[in-house]
Parts: sequence; C-alpha cells; structure tokens
Amino acid sequence: MRLVRAEVERLAARRFVQLMVVLLLAAFAVTVVTTLAGSHRPSVAELTRAQAQAAEAVRELEMQHDRCLAIKAGTTTPVETDYIPRDCSEVDPALMERLPTSADYLSGVFVFGHEAEGLLYFLIAFLALFGFLVGASYIGADLNSGGVVNLLLWRPQRRAVLGAKLGTLLGAVLALAAVASAAYLAVFWLIGQFAGRPGQPDWAALGVTHGRGLVLVLLTAALGFAIATLGRHTSAALGTVAAYLVVWELGARLVFDILSVSRPERLMLSTYLGAWLAGEVRFFDSASCASVTETFCDASYTIGWAPGMVVLVGLTVALVLAAFAAFRRRDLI
Amino acid sequence: MSAVIEIAGLRKSFHSARQGRRVAVDGFDLLVEAGQIHGFLGPNGSGKTTTLRALLGLVGADEGRMSVLGASSPERLPEVAGRVGAIVESPQFFGNFTARKTLRLLAVAGGVPTSRVDEVLEQVGLRDRGGERVKGYSLGMRQRLAVASALLKNPELLILDEPANGLDPAGIREMRDLMRSLAAAGVTVLLSSHILAEIQLICDHVTIISRGRRVAHGRVDEVLAGYDQHQWRVVVAAPDRAAELLGMAGVSVTTLADQLVVTGVDDPELISRTLGEQGLWVRELVPLRPDLESVFLELTGAHPQPAVPRQVDGGVPPEGPDGPLIDLDVRETREVGA
Repeated sequence: MRLVRAEVERLAARRFVQLMVVLLLAAFAVTVVTTLAGSHRPSVAELTRAQAQAAEAVRELEMQHDRCLAIKAGTTTPVETDYIPRDCSEVDPALMERLPTSADYLSGVFVFGHEAEGLLYFLIAFLALFGFLVGASYIGADLNSGGVVNLLLWRPQRRAVLGAKLGTLLGAVLALAAVASAAYLAVFWLIGQFAGRPGQPDWAALGVTHGRGLVLVLLTAALGFAIATLGRHTSAALGTVAAYLVVWELGARLVFDILSVSRPERLMLSTYLGAWLAGEVRFFDSASCASVTETFCDASYTIGWAPGMVVLVGLTVALVLAAFAAFRRRDLI
Repeated sequence: MSAVIEIAGLRKSFHSARQGRRVAVDGFDLLVEAGQIHGFLGPNGSGKTTTLRALLGLVGADEGRMSVLGASSPERLPEVAGRVGAIVESPQFFGNFTARKTLRLLAVAGGVPTSRVDEVLEQVGLRDRGGERVKGYSLGMRQRLAVASALLKNPELLILDEPANGLDPAGIREMRDLMRSLAAAGVTVLLSSHILAEIQLICDHVTIISRGRRVAHGRVDEVLAGYDQHQWRVVVAAPDRAAELLGMAGVSVTTLADQLVVTGVDDPELISRTLGEQGLWVRELVPLRPDLESVFLELTGAHPQPAVPRQVDGGVPPEGPDGPLIDLDVRETREVGA
C-alpha cells in the first residue's frame, strides 16, 4: 500500500502526465467553446419547421415502403428511379434503427442526443492515446533514468514494484477517464439543455460505448506499459506502434490487396479495435462472390465485439505477462 | 564479530550476441564484519560494481552464495532491505523532482517517517538546496543526494559505490567525517572507491579485487605490512661510497641520483652505524612504507607504463574453457572510454 501511495505521488508529479492532463482540458475547453459558439436555442418557428420537415421525411419513407410492397404484389409498375430491395422490410420505417427527427433539420443547434455518441468517441480516442503515452513514459522513463533501481534498493521485490506501478497506472487512468468522460458528457448535456436541444439520447447505448471505451483506455495504458518495459524505454513503445502501423496496417494491407487475400481485415488489430468499440464492424469480401455470376451473393461479413475483446485482451495480457517475466530476470545495469 | 556481508564464490558473466561471454566476477569472496569501515578496491572493470549489484539483487549471479545481515541474497533480501542503505555507481534521479520530493517519495515507499528527509538533507549539506530541482544540481550535489537517500533508512549497513565521485576537496573531507561519525554510531560501511588515499584514511579493513577475483583482504595495516620491504631512503654526501660500504655489510642498495634506497633492513641503526664508522654522516634516513596505492598497483598490475595506454583491468583477457574471457564491467568500461 505504501508503494502504491508513493507511486500515485510519483505519477501525479510527472511533468508528462501533467502536460497530458492540460492537453485534455484544453481539448475539452476548445470543443465546449466552439460548440457553444455554434449553437443557439431554436425559436418556436424553427422548431415547428424542423418538426414538419422530419414528419415529411418519415412520411416519404412510409410511402416508399408502401410502394415497394405494391410493386412486389404486382399492383404497381416500377419506374426507373425506384429502389426495390429483395425484401421490402429493408425500407420499412418501423424496422429502421433510427427515423428522421426534428434535430436533423435544426441548423446551428447543438442537439445532445444527436451528437453525444460522436463526442464520446472523440473523448475515448484521446483518453486511449493518453493512456498509452502515459503508460509507456511512466515505466520507460523510470527504467531509463535509474528510478527503478533506486526503488529496488528500497523494495527489492521486482514483481511487487512492477505490479504496484502497473496497478497505480491503471487505477489512475481509469479514475481520470471516468471523471473526464462523466464531466464531458455532463457539460455537453447542459449545453444541450440551455444553448441547444437535449434531444433524445439513448442512454443505454451511450453507457455501453462508455464502458467499452474505458476498457479500451485501460488496455492501451497496459500495452504502452508492457512494451516500454520489454524495450526498457518509452520510445520502444512509440516505435513499436509506429512500426506496426506502417509495416502491417499499411504495408501488409497493400500486399494482401495485391495478392487478393481473402478477408485481410481479420488479420488487422484495427478491425478488432473497431469491433470492440462499435459493437460490430462489417466488411465486404469480393473474393467470396467471385465465382457467383447470376444469383444474389451477399459478400459482406461482420466481426462482433466478442472476438474484438478476445484479441485485444489476449494481446495485452500476453505482453504484460512477458513484461513481468522479462523484468523479473533482467540484469539492471 | 558477526558477519554483515558474506560473499563466497560469486561468479557472474554477461552474454551478448556480438561480444560473446564476458566474465565480470569470477569466484569472488568478501567478508565484512559488523562495525567495520570496509574499503572495496579494484581497477576499472574489475567487477566491483557488478559485485555490489549482485549483492543487492540488481543482477543475477551465475554461482555463489551471498548474504546481507544474515539473510541470503537475493532470496531474503526484502527482509533486511529496510536496514541497508545503498548507492550503486552514480544514481540517477528525475531531473524535474526536487531533492526533497525525491527523498519523500522514497521515504513513503519504504515506510520511513518523512521527517527523516530534512534530517538527511542536513547531514549531507543540502538543507538549503533541497527545494531545488535535481536537474540543476552539480555532480557532487547529486552524489550528496544519493548518500542522503542511502541514509534515509537510518541503516545498520551502508553500501556506497564511489560516494566521493564529483565531490570537491571540502566535500570529500565532509564525506570522510560523515563516514567516521556513522561508523562511530555503529553503522557498518562498505565503501567502494578509486580514491586510495581516502580509503587508507577512512577504512580499517580492505578487500582488493582484480579481474573479478579477490587478490588481497584484511586489516588495512596488515595488508600494507605484507608488502613492506623494509626500505629506507638514505641521503649522504658520497652516495657511491656509501653504497659500496653498505653492500660490503650485506645490505641490498639501489643508487638513485644523489640518494640511496636500502632494502631489507629492519633496524635503521645498521645503516647509520655502518656509514658513521667510515666517516660518512647520514643527512636523511626516511622509512619507505608501502601505501595503499602502491599495494593496489602491485596487486592489480595496474602500473602505468610510459607511452603505453593501459587497458581496462590489465587488458589481457584470460583464457577460459569456453574461449577468451574478458574481465570487463560494462558500465565501468564506458566510463573509461568516455
């Protein structure tokens, strides 16, 4: 516990951490100010007009669905501009994920329910970057500067020392991410209340995205920590990520494309990251329909959050275990 | 007296793909008993720092037994770590932390009352500079901070690797006084240093390491006595004639310009009487006692040769069963090369 207390103080006193928190606050402030500057409370006339436009849009969708059914029933002749899906349920407004609302037709009005998810993704991206950089620099700088050796002279228990550092890092990052995201959403909700429209946020969906985002932030922090421990330096973590992005995500993707490899997305970490965060990602596999000529062929395939979680958590756990094993046996010279 | 540090048959080698195997410590033994101020000497690359790192669990030993305050190291080191203060080589600190913050964090981690921070800053002469960032410190001030960090625990055993590194003459004297006062208070001190005169002044016992092996150990005066050739420097008006007379008396004499060096004489009366009986009056008769430096150079083969750059710890790699073994401590080599 004493070790954790000291590590919390050490982490909070790190300049880099302080700088990243300032950057987080600055990004927060800029987003709030620009949102406030670009939003106003809509007048009654604006609202009425937007509601009418939304109702009209819904009506058009219903008419399109009815027309589809009529064409399928053979009671109406299709024209060239008609979109006729295989199954009319595809254009059934009652089955649509989301129908047009008045928020879609309010110009210059911040509608919280409409924007919340995008704002949350932005925050998660920032916090994930924050977690990775802080995780890598926290242990990397300590290993490089001899701080770990100093600490081991006081507490010659390598597993406990590294464990306390990792635990402190994850606890601190989680606390900061939870507080920052709660404050972030609360502020934008208030903007929606008083300088825009609250809309109808899907709190359950936001909660799920938020939870997944926090897990992702913890995973990136642990990854940064583990890679920097293995490489004994902060730059090892940064270099590894840069190399992975350039060599694999860009280079290998090009090679797979040239070689017409089937479903190359399954080999990319970014796929699983997206699947975890969004719940599901859908890709198009042209190779799977190459031999089909006449009949309909659905070439899409999806990867859900569960494989995303398995891959991301598995990779992180493997690297963290490797970091602990390496640190336990390493000569500290 | 009880043993505070015991090392027996310590062996440590480093492996690298490019340079192969390097033996840093090769069957080294060390015994430090309670209450001693024990000097630990050796040329660059002889294995001093590797030995201390192994003792403190920072590098893994290939073979050998080690214990600190009765606890085997590194297995039971955590049990006694609170009673051992140590600095190894030049410790590094976060430049953006103040000295006070640095020590405070160590105190919190080690469960030491934070009130000790100001006490040790006072002890090492950093009281008024403790609020400054470490990055503004000179090498000597960082060294003082390192010693302060070692003293923070109020240790029973103090292991200091080159504590005088970077200190000015006044600082060296202060450090010497500090060591003495700590020893007087019952603290056992193991002191590794290149400043041989300091070791001779401060330490009561000494162990000398060369090529990873112990080449001398014991009380400082006994080690020196073992190398006493009972030599005397003699100044007379006619040195050639004096040399002839002393030679006839069966004494070994070397003539050096206007003086003689007489070897193997226990009683100086023999010299003065032999010359006086022949009318040659001795102007100076000075005993030439070995000092630690001469013994060190003798034992470690580190005598400088004119126009020959000396290689780290002798520079002749010993042959081992698996090919050439180069006696090298990586960190110290870097210092030499810098």
